[in-house]
Amino acid sequence: MDQAQILPGTLDLLILKAVSLGPLHGYGILLRIGQITNSALLIEQGALYPALFRLVRQGLLRASWGVSENNRRAKFYELTAAGRKRFREETAGWNRLATAMATALAARPEEI
Amino acid sequence: MKIMAYIRSLTAKFFHRSQIAEEMEEEFRTHIQRRADDLERGGLARAEAERRARIEFGGNQRYREECHEAMGGAIVETLMQDVRFAFRALRKSPGFAVAAISALALGIGANTAIFSVVNTVLLKPLTYPDADRMVEFLAPSSVIASNLACIPEFHFYQRQTSVFKDVAAYDNAGPGFNLSGDRPEQLHGIHVTEGYFRVYGAPVMLGRTFTPQEDSPHGGKVVVLSYGLWQRKFGGNPATVGKSLSLGNEPYTIIGVIGKEFVSDPQADMWLPFQFEPVSNDMNHFFQVAGMLKPGVTVEQANAQLEAAAPQYHRDFPGTDPKQQFAVGSLRDSIIGDARNSLLVMLGAVGLVLLIACANVANLLLVRATGRKREFAIRSALGASRGRIVSQLLTESVMLSVAGGILGLGLGFIGVRALLAISPAGLPRIGEDGAAIGIDWRVLAFTLVVSLLTGILFGLFPAINASRSDLNSTLKESSNRSGTGFRQGKARSVLVISEVSLALVLLIGAALLIRTFVALHGVGPGFDSHNVLTMEMSLNGDRYQKTAGVAQLLRDGRERLNAIPGVEISASAYWLPIDVEDAMPFQILGRPVQKDCCFNKWMSVTPGYLSLFKIPILRGRDFTENDKAGAPGVALINEAMAKKLWPNNDPIGQHIMCGQGVGPELDGEPERQIIGIVGDSHNSGLGQPADPMMMVPIAQVPDGYAAAYSDIQPLFWLVRTHGDPHQVIPAITEQLRVASKGFPVAHIRTMDEVMGRSTARQSFNMLLLTIFGVVALVLAAIGIYGLMAYSVEQRTQEMGIRMALGADRGTIRKLVVWHGMRLALIGVALGIGAAFGLTRFIATFLFGVKPWDPAVFIAVPLILVAVALVAVWLPAARASKVDPMQALRAE
Repeated sequence: MDQAQILPGTLDLLILKAVSLGPLHGYGILLRIGQITNSALLIEQGALYPALFRLVRQGLLRASWGVSENNRRAKFYELTAAGRKRFREETAGWNRLATAMATALAARPEEI
Repeated sequence: MKIMAYIRSLTAKFFHRSQIAEEMEEEFRTHIQRRADDLERGGLARAEAERRARIEFGGNQRYREECHEAMGGAIVETLMQDVRFAFRALRKSPGFAVAAISALALGIGANTAIFSVVNTVLLKPLTYPDADRMVEFLAPSSVIASNLACIPEFHFYQRQTSVFKDVAAYDNAGPGFNLSGDRPEQLHGIHVTEGYFRVYGAPVMLGRTFTPQEDSPHGGKVVVLSYGLWQRKFGGNPATVGKSLSLGNEPYTIIGVIGKEFVSDPQADMWLPFQFEPVSNDMNHFFQVAGMLKPGVTVEQANAQLEAAAPQYHRDFPGTDPKQQFAVGSLRDSIIGDARNSLLVMLGAVGLVLLIACANVANLLLVRATGRKREFAIRSALGASRGRIVSQLLTESVMLSVAGGILGLGLGFIGVRALLAISPAGLPRIGEDGAAIGIDWRVLAFTLVVSLLTGILFGLFPAINASRSDLNSTLKESSNRSGTGFRQGKARSVLVISEVSLALVLLIGAALLIRTFVALHGVGPGFDSHNVLTMEMSLNGDRYQKTAGVAQLLRDGRERLNAIPGVEISASAYWLPIDVEDAMPFQILGRPVQKDCCFNKWMSVTPGYLSLFKIPILRGRDFTENDKAGAPGVALINEAMAKKLWPNNDPIGQHIMCGQGVGPELDGEPERQIIGIVGDSHNSGLGQPADPMMMVPIAQVPDGYAAAYSDIQPLFWLVRTHGDPHQVIPAITEQLRVASKGFPVAHIRTMDEVMGRSTARQSFNMLLLTIFGVVALVLAAIGIYGLMAYSVEQRTQEMGIRMALGADRGTIRKLVVWHGMRLALIGVALGIGAAFGLTRFIATFLFGVKPWDPAVFIAVPLILVAVALVAVWLPAARASKVDPMQALRAE
């Protein structure tokens, strides 16, 4: 299966999306992203963590230690209010960009 | 919210470092294990699954660092790293650190000490409410520039209600008051008008201040106490108001007490009402006037109003000098007085000392940076940017300077106490024994800023220098030869040159002040001050409102004093010969009457005054006991007055008439015949030429004049003794107490002490500047020595080669000496130029020497050159002793 290199800046949005569906630990976020993108994107696993720390510092995520489904201690991430707001804004922004790009790329000579 | 998250992130990062590391480790580990679990479930063997999981995760260490970075605070972290590194680097070379920190501590400490005095005297606002609207009244006229006023002028000021909210008169010094009782003592009381407390915003703690009725003639005897006197004499009893205080055997009713925080100007234990006549033509100028401007009125507007109103005043009082002007100036400036100049000069001088200390430390840093060149080269080879290296080096130098600053603050605190111990009496605003001087936020901020600035100042230059190195060549160069390059040498030379020139400026300033001091002490004062005792007595009471009463006391007192064993002669006067402040207009009879013909100093004395001070009678005769009231009026004049007014003929036998137009005080002043000419004494202070002056017998002054003196200042008793004057003090005080029926004497000083006080400001300036100059000289010498010693050490091999090729020891020595002396001479030349420009700032402190005194400008550079020569000679001698074989083999 071919995997696309992830665009710079999109990892944060993907993490926000993944966590917006419910609190997750790091590995869980990775699995969730794989699941919702049909594993179409290539993410270096370790690279997830600096992004998570950055989002926590920015106040968009909250981290807390808890116990996972198989009774292992794990650090869970969830959205804060600010995170939820940012997620909505970024989603809207992304959609605008994607639409614009799609339209632009679909343009044919006779339409101009 | 976001900021909170950021702060939490930083707190976690910096304060829970190990916990964060553990958690991160655990998070990564669980991730990898879960992945391995999943892979195992996909059919891999456990070992293979774990290997794959680790590979997929990527660089463990790299992500850990990225996470750390993601937590924020990169700047703080870099800084902390730099600080830790700098600390380690400095600990590795304790000798360097101690040398640098102590040089800086000295420099910063001296600056802190001087600044804390400047802060208290010049920068702190006056403690009075609305202090910026407070003004002092000045009355410059064609004959005298004075801040003293007379009653008609005071009333004139009071009438200018369009610009002044309140106007108040107060005693210049005050006569002093004798507190009667078991232990009589002289209290410092000053007369004020009722507006004084309003102008100065004095907080009334108990009772009240004077009513306008109490401040009118016959308004009763009332007094307001200071907090200190109230505590001392009444134990702070609130029932003190209404009680009576016996001053000069007369009861005064205490009507109020002023709060503790009030800083009285002039200093006072208590205040009494002036009780001026509402209408008066008394032209005697004997008090000061302060006023409060109306809100929004500027000093310029007030001056314009005074100028516009002046003609009316001169019409009302036709006898007055029509050229007389009226003006106000900021009260703050008048309180600070001429202390401003000398303090600012000292601050400048001490700043130069700090600059020299900085140059020395910069030099040390340059040497150190040379030794560390390879370290920097390696660091930049490993990817450190130039800015990173500069900031690392700056961190080191700022750490040094802050350490120096902290030590300096302590030194400054000690220094300020030392400064006050040697400072002249009467630095304004410093409080009792300098109690008002302390460390406040201004001083702390000053020290902090100075420390940081010096750190950057001396650190930046070497840091930039070090970071500019050429990587390739440095790494290739053998370590012990690096740093002798041209640019390095140039940087250090510039530092040494500036040190020498700054030191020269300070030394020239110090030398000029030393010459001033010597000149002042070389001045023949015109009298003999040895073995003379002076003391003051306040003449309170009705008896001393008449000349006869005063004369009687003086006769009795002198008889008793002269009878004391050990006393050679005694006398009395209202002024000491070194400081006569009274002046009087007069006419020379037989010459055409002209307005403002003559005006000069005048004082009244008892017989014996001239012999006591050994003031020579050049011609004519001294006063005798027979020159008393009713006898023909007589006067003595000094040589300056004789030369000025009788340049071509003989003044003796001439008649003069004094005090016309002065007012009721001089009513009854007799016509006087000049009976003698006496030698000049420096009656305006040692630094000033002798002013023309006239003397009259106290027994012959009009009653009004005697009364005025009893009211405005104390009388001096003077005694010349055969041996140490201190031994007769008990007998003198006892005899005077009996003669005066119970008055104490105060301020007992030898005349030598009085003379010392009069030049205290100059000695203080000289002492400080000399200390600074010597410190600068030593620092500069160390600077030159350090540079030459280092360069000789670096060039040992070169010396060896030169010698192997045939240079003799003398040539080598000359080479090194010339190298060092060239720098010193350039520094001296620059310093002479700078000193020419700067000495004018101390011109006002100089006496008997010009700011460009050739002797100073030749001698001081020679001294500096001699010191520099010694400093370069030692390394040069070492260089010439190099053994060529050893030097060459060492390579």
